[in-house]
Amino acid sequence: MIKKAMLSMAAGSMLFFVPVFAPVLAQAQAADAAPYQVSEGNKVDAHTLSGWRTWRALACERCHGPAQEGMVGPSLVNSLKVLSKDQFKETVLKGRIDKGMPNFDGSKMVVENIDNLYAYLKGRSDGAIQPGRLQEIGK
Amino acid sequence: MSFQSRTTCWGTCLALLAGTAFAADSDVAQLTKDPKNWAMQAGDLNNHRYSELKQITTKNAKNLSVAWTFSTGVLRGHEGGPLVIGDTMYLHSPFPNKVFAIALEDQSIRWKYEPKQDATVIPVMCCDTVNRGLAYANGKIFLQQADTTLVALDAKTGNELWKVKVGDPKIGETTTNTPHIFKDKVLTGISGGEFGVRGRITAHDINTGKVLWKAYSTGPDNELLVDPAKTMTWTDGKMAPIGPDSSLKTWQGDQWKLGGGTTWGWYSYDPALNVVYYGTGNPSTWNPRQRPGDNKWSMTIFARDLDTGMAKWVYQMTPHDEWDYDGVNEMILADIKVKGKPHKALVHFDRNGFAYTMDRVSGELLVAEKYDPVVNWATHVDMKSGRPQVVAKYSTDKNGPDVNTKGVCPSALGTKDQQPASYSPRTGLFYVPTNHVCMDYEPFQIEYTAGQPYVGSTLSMYAAPNSHGGMGNFIAWDAGTGKMVWSKPERFSVWSGALTTAGDVVFYGTLEGYLKAVDLNGKELWKFKTPSGIIGNVTTWEYKGKQYVGVLSGIGGWAGIGLAAGLTKGTEGLGAVGGYKDLAKYTELGGVLTVFALSDR
Repeated sequence: MIKKAMLSMAAGSMLFFVPVFAPVLAQAQAADAAPYQVSEGNKVDAHTLSGWRTWRALACERCHGPAQEGMVGPSLVNSLKVLSKDQFKETVLKGRIDKGMPNFDGSKMVVENIDNLYAYLKGRSDGAIQPGRLQEIGK
Repeated sequence: MSFQSRTTCWGTCLALLAGTAFAADSDVAQLTKDPKNWAMQAGDLNNHRYSELKQITTKNAKNLSVAWTFSTGVLRGHEGGPLVIGDTMYLHSPFPNKVFAIALEDQSIRWKYEPKQDATVIPVMCCDTVNRGLAYANGKIFLQQADTTLVALDAKTGNELWKVKVGDPKIGETTTNTPHIFKDKVLTGISGGEFGVRGRITAHDINTGKVLWKAYSTGPDNELLVDPAKTMTWTDGKMAPIGPDSSLKTWQGDQWKLGGGTTWGWYSYDPALNVVYYGTGNPSTWNPRQRPGDNKWSMTIFARDLDTGMAKWVYQMTPHDEWDYDGVNEMILADIKVKGKPHKALVHFDRNGFAYTMDRVSGELLVAEKYDPVVNWATHVDMKSGRPQVVAKYSTDKNGPDVNTKGVCPSALGTKDQQPASYSPRTGLFYVPTNHVCMDYEPFQIEYTAGQPYVGSTLSMYAAPNSHGGMGNFIAWDAGTGKMVWSKPERFSVWSGALTTAGDVVFYGTLEGYLKAVDLNGKELWKFKTPSGIIGNVTTWEYKGKQYVGVLSGIGGWAGIGLAAGLTKGTEGLGAVGGYKDLAKYTELGGVLTVFALSDR
């Protein structure tokens, strides 16, 4: 794998973040521990990996884009800077039907992995996790 | 009927009597013979998208200017186009699928219809809410709503005459296709190939909506409407019966029940043979390992008897699809010389990058050639077996789940998606809007949940490498020899239906929003930037002695966005996103019909 500094993607405002080769803390919530562990930008803890797998299985990129920066649906890189965890869960499980966001409370995978999905997307939003394929730390 | 301005027709004219439904026929075929009208989405039964009008020529096309505009009041992808019958235009919008009857005299709205649809259908259509337009026959307008309701309206008043549901959005079924009126029947399909839908086509009574027959793409013979002894397919260099359980034998277990093979394209009809032609979409899931076998009859050209629905012949273009190369693109019926011999041909530009010329009477395979030289997933189609010869390196099944198969051309968008091509009987050539996009494709194991996406693959797409850098071409094609005549590069995919005319002008739209007129050599004569990117189809009609050209603009759909997805590394595969971001420099959402005519000088 190429070890690269963070991409400056459309979301912007992540240029000052440089991944290091150890679990890192999210900048945005210095007071709280980040809900994810990441190393080298693409190696994450098992929970966060399940979050990514959930993202992939439900084809979320069809609306939010492969790098979560938005297409027909909004940029989650931006949304996760604003939404609380509870608001996030509410949105994913209940949907925003009129805007085209499905309710995923009928998906066993999403219901079981909602915290993991949050962890993954928070990591993307913080600029700590790279877009694309992930693997488990130490595997 | 309110056709105050009907003048003489070309050929024989049926008297248009309100409420008269001839048992054996509707008036639409006749209406398409008068080039003043644009009475079907494709202009005629053959999917030609050609008009005999010739007021606009290669000499004066440079003088085209905007005659009038009309906003649908809806954003998102505007596919399809307006119908014109006599002095009235009928126009649709994407979801919520508004319908407008517009007086050509002063562009006033005669009536407007807006169906009440449950908004929960929107996410199922994710990510766009396109509709490919209305149909007309016997004083009725037919709309295939997103929520699978097929509705007939009184063309004079907009009042509902009948409604029938052809699917269930709760299990991922939606509809985006235009209804097709052939003889005395309305034919419609189903969308939802990414939700594990089982594709089928239904024929309805034009007067009541009653289902007359229903033919599935996958499953047991009686539900396929095939005769194991009489339905033929290209086998070992000749036509032979398909035999019993032709579909069931090519699926593992019950996977055919979620098998895809949806039917959202443009159908055609040959009245002399009484046969309807259409194509079926991808098998589901997109992870080929989860469905061993050829997955018949997904990715297939069907030729069916219009009255009974029974299949006369079938031909599967992409057995065991591993790339999402839906076979739904239009079947164009043209009587042309193929390899020097006259044939009643069917010409089809498939998503898989091969252009097929079939004998539409017998179903024989005549020509199958790449219509973009970058196509690489197969070396060629073996003309004896009719099977594409897959290149191992690009086999996402062979490489397996959780392996990223890179550099496959074309991408899942296909060398052409549904954006329909045009055939000019004057040149005998086909004018084709194409994509010039390649992809990386990574399948993974996926479980089925009704109503949830059932895809099982992540993709990233990018402009074809080592080429002109653009994501599209507009080409001229000789279907008799399987050779490209010329190719005009475009910055983005050409996602607009083409139009040819007796004035020898060829029209198409671009994703930046240009409507372009080119001559028969592809030389640009004129262009005009409409309010938004064009994924609609160009149409033409005549009113009070003037030829008009119209096109819907309104960017959306897969075009320019692509189903771009998971990257292997943060630095890779941003092509489609990059492409889309690039597109954002040129255009924004919209929903406007722009109508052009020669300026009075």
